[in-house]
Amino acid sequence: MSDFLDEHGEMQDLFFETAGELLQSLNDCALKLEKHPGETETVREMRRIVHTLKGDAAACGLRELSELAHTLEDALAFEALDQSSLAEVAFTAADVFSSMLNAYHRKSKVPTGNALHKLIKELTPVAAEVKASKKKSKSKAKVSATAVWTEYETLAQQNALKLGKKVYHVTATIDRLCAMPIAARQLLITALNSSGEIIGTRPEKNSVQASPIMELLIATEKSAEQISAKAKIPTVIANVEIHPLGVAEKSKKKRAVAPEVEINPVVEAVAAPTPATVEPEIKSVAAPEAKAQESVQPSSTASENTLRVDAERIDNVLNLVGELIIGKSMLQQALNEFARENPKDAMRGKFADAMAFQARVLNDLQRSVMKVRMVPVEQLFRRFPRMVRDVAKHCGKQVDLLMSGQDTDLDKSLLDAIAEPLTHMVRNSVSHGIESPEERAKLGKAPRGTIHLRSHHQGNQVVVEISDDGRGIDAQRVRAKAVQQNLISADDVTRLTENEALEFIFRPGFSTADEITEISGRGVGLDVVRSVLQRLKGSVEVENRPGQGTTFRLKLPLTLAIIKALLFRVDQRLYAIPLNAVAEISRAREADLHRVDHYEVLQLRNQVLPLIRLGHRPLEQPFSKGSAVSQRIFILVIQMGERKLGLIVDALEGEEELVIKALDDQTVATDLVSGASILGDGRVVLIMNLAAIMERFNKSRPVRTDGSIGLLLSQSEQARLAAQAGGRS
Amino acid sequence: MEQFAPVRRSKDGQPVRYLIVDDSVFARKNLARMVETFGGQVAGEAGDGLNAITEYDRLHPDIVLMDITMPQMEGIEAAEKIVQQHPDARIVMVSSVGYQENIVAALQRGARHFVQKPVKAEVLYEVIKYVLGDEESAAHAAGAGAGV
Repeated sequence: MSDFLDEHGEMQDLFFETAGELLQSLNDCALKLEKHPGETETVREMRRIVHTLKGDAAACGLRELSELAHTLEDALAFEALDQSSLAEVAFTAADVFSSMLNAYHRKSKVPTGNALHKLIKELTPVAAEVKASKKKSKSKAKVSATAVWTEYETLAQQNALKLGKKVYHVTATIDRLCAMPIAARQLLITALNSSGEIIGTRPEKNSVQASPIMELLIATEKSAEQISAKAKIPTVIANVEIHPLGVAEKSKKKRAVAPEVEINPVVEAVAAPTPATVEPEIKSVAAPEAKAQESVQPSSTASENTLRVDAERIDNVLNLVGELIIGKSMLQQALNEFARENPKDAMRGKFADAMAFQARVLNDLQRSVMKVRMVPVEQLFRRFPRMVRDVAKHCGKQVDLLMSGQDTDLDKSLLDAIAEPLTHMVRNSVSHGIESPEERAKLGKAPRGTIHLRSHHQGNQVVVEISDDGRGIDAQRVRAKAVQQNLISADDVTRLTENEALEFIFRPGFSTADEITEISGRGVGLDVVRSVLQRLKGSVEVENRPGQGTTFRLKLPLTLAIIKALLFRVDQRLYAIPLNAVAEISRAREADLHRVDHYEVLQLRNQVLPLIRLGHRPLEQPFSKGSAVSQRIFILVIQMGERKLGLIVDALEGEEELVIKALDDQTVATDLVSGASILGDGRVVLIMNLAAIMERFNKSRPVRTDGSIGLLLSQSEQARLAAQAGGRS
Repeated sequence: MEQFAPVRRSKDGQPVRYLIVDDSVFARKNLARMVETFGGQVAGEAGDGLNAITEYDRLHPDIVLMDITMPQMEGIEAAEKIVQQHPDARIVMVSSVGYQENIVAALQRGARHFVQKPVKAEVLYEVIKYVLGDEESAAHAAGAGAGV
């Protein structure tokens, strides 16, 4: 890592972030070039990207990266570019730059990028020669130090002298550190133009010679000191020698048009600049290319009004909004009490109005703050075209990637969290879902497979779908595998529905052992995907169309911080679940419950609904007739994907917006609870993790004899939770 | 980082106001950081030449630091247009060695100076002092730039 970045930590993040964006754009260019080789606009865009990367890297002192980018930029300016392999070069460049950036970031050894160098060289077979010839001309340029003035210039000089002006011969040495001698000369001319008339210059005005010294004749009214001061332009001109030219001297040499008009004592000093530092670097193509770039490219216009804010600060604001919401429900509660005690008081109406107003503003505030955190999923989708291309190429597949709904907004932290899982699934779809072109042809499908990435909002959730039109998942083989891996008995497996069987692909370790079947790869890592989604209070489902493709559907909450929840009681304790998971609420009596196999079920209209009992059933009277049997209970029908389950609860408390407070692992030893929240009256409510409950239910078949899943916490555990969440339970 | 004596506007002693034009956010921030160490103040930023022109009209900065290669409108054209409208505009071109011809063109069209990327703070400091200076202070600043 460079000293620069160590010194300026705040710049470091910015650099890596923008560099990442540049590489993404570079990848986009590469993909475009692959589709339309040699598209000049794209090549130009690519060059600009590389140029910016070079500049930024150089500013950070990341020499290797900057130099490599420089080489590539040069090559791209080359007219006789080998267009055919350009896309490949671009891909390689993006990869090499990326690994270099990683190395800088981790402060490890920076890769050399030799492979890229070689590719670049092949790109421009003649470029090397041009360089070589340039070098030659440079060494030539150094030779002349004493100017030779033309007849016309000598004449102009004499005229000026006759008019009573002073004429100086100025010899300026260009600063060794200034790598742009031509620009330096122009600057000197510009600077002196205001002080007098420049009669002539050496090298001549539009010369592209990289000479480290410049001589000129200037006719002026000013003193030698003034001219000298003008000519000493900091950072550009290191040294200035001035010699006034007299009439006498001139007239003597007048007819001798040619050489050695002036004596030049500075010649010795001139040797100082080394050829290396004064490298000319004039790209013959640079000027026209740069001008042409004025064309359309409206990309960065919006960025001027964009503010980069540390995510933590936004989280703070969001937290405070959360506290406000708690405050609101406290106020509401107090108001309700007030209304009960003083039903006739006229203040009631006023309070209610103020309350409603506050609630509305609070709602807007919450939504605005949440919007700040939102980013379009495009940020994530952008990386897939390149990846799909690479994977497809690697496994000899032909795949088209379609994307829609890229503008769907999602909480940034959620987006970051699903990046890995989604990448994994897209990769899976290419390598395992889509068949080889030959196989597809045999099946009567188009040789090119299609993967479709979609995203849209659905209620309070964001849905991300990955579908392919490949072979789908063979449920029969999944069953066979499950038995083979001892995940289920051969007997039980036959009773599984298709959907239940597919659940195995989300089991940890499922199918990785066997590499023979293509299908085996399908399950790799899906358990990880599922666990990530569960952590995010989302879900992942699979929709299988054997022979025609698979769709994986990720569902995510819009945000992690605040949920609409349904509150209920079990064994006198308060719990909550996300409201959007509740499909319906049904009432029943204990007597309506039946037992099928190992589980309790409820006949709900024409459906049999498996039930989960959250509390412990009093063991002394399981299923016995008695008072408990006629007790009214509620069944919360929750739906996750295709599956429905009923939760048996004692009483409903209502719905409320809950601000989720995360709980650390030490406080809660179970994954069945995903967080806690504080109600307006200070009570603590635990928020259940439905995905985990459902999974526990699946795994635990046959269920424990008491039919419960043992969720409830002991009194002491509850007290500790309350203490941690800061409520007064 | 080394310390720089703050550069002030000669007319009123206020901080020098800068307009920074570059399509790289990073480059802009980097320059902003530098000019702030000179006691300057970033009046505005622009990511392309078109924006640079409107921002100049709006802000009338003391100094413009202008990149060459940018989308929409190149730095040269932007510099030229600004100088046409505001002949006293002080524009410093900021660019890589490879764009020397463009710098020459920009200087011919009225840019006052140039610095080379990667920009060194001490170089930029001298350039700014020079560009800001009228006759006397230019003479005063002269000589300091050599041998950095």
